Amino acid sequence: MSRNQQRRPDPRHKKCKFCLKEIVYIDYKDYPTMRPFIDYFGNIMARYYSGVCLKHQKMLKNSVERARFMGMMAYRK
Amino acid sequence: MTDEDLRTYEFCILYPSNLSQKEEVDLLKEIEKIIEEQGGKQVSKDVWGKRGLAYKIKGHDEGNFVVYHYIMDPTTLKEIDIALRITPNLLRHIIVKPPKGYRILKYSETYETWLKEREGEEDRKKKEKEEKLAQRVAEKAKRQVKRAAAKKEEEAPAKKPKADKKKISEELERLISDDDLDI
Repeated sequence: MSRNQQRRPDPRHKKCKFCLKEIVYIDYKDYPTMRPFIDYFGNIMARYYSGVCLKHQKMLKNSVERARFMGMMAYRK
Repeated sequence: MTDEDLRTYEFCILYPSNLSQKEEVDLLKEIEKIIEEQGGKQVSKDVWGKRGLAYKIKGHDEGNFVVYHYIMDPTTLKEIDIALRITPNLLRHIIVKPPKGYRILKYSETYETWLKEREGEEDRKKKEKEEKLAQRVAEKAKRQVKRAAAKKEEEAPAKKPKADKKKISEELERLISDDDLDI
């Protein structure tokens, strides 16, 4: 019983937030959309925790790296 | 060359904010010249203005961003990249091929609106926090009052039996000292 109470909801059941909005392209200039998927240290959150699908995670990684290169986003806080 | 070979490309440019106005104009002109020499056709130009950088680039904390959109032939991209790399006073540049059906948005405006929204949100959060704190304080005060009342109640009935005991002992003594009583 106590074990069941400690168990968190299964992260595999999360829905991809980009898929829900049917996003085709994540812009590197669009800081507000990328912001929730970046942790305090400036790292991209793992797919397991954020629930983003592989397709959109790759897009996200691309755009975050572009933003980092242009100095809009920090490599490391 | 047919029209299908042409594509839109996005050029994002970062230069330091401490340039003089003349240098700034010259730099932008030079960049536009470099791209237009290779047969680019300007679609949009978005000047972001002064922005803080996430980390220092060549000792600069702040920089100006400009985003261009050009329709051009893909084969000339490499030469533009090489030319941009050796332009003086240019901190960073990036050339991106947006996907088909990409709508050009003015991010200089959306960013500002987002900043305002965030400020509003922060204010709201602060208010919520304060309200929560006030509520907690009020609850604590209530609890204290309750506790005090409970204590008083506890103390009040505790006194009664004591008085009773005294009375009983007094009566007992009176009874004992009473000589008329025969048992």
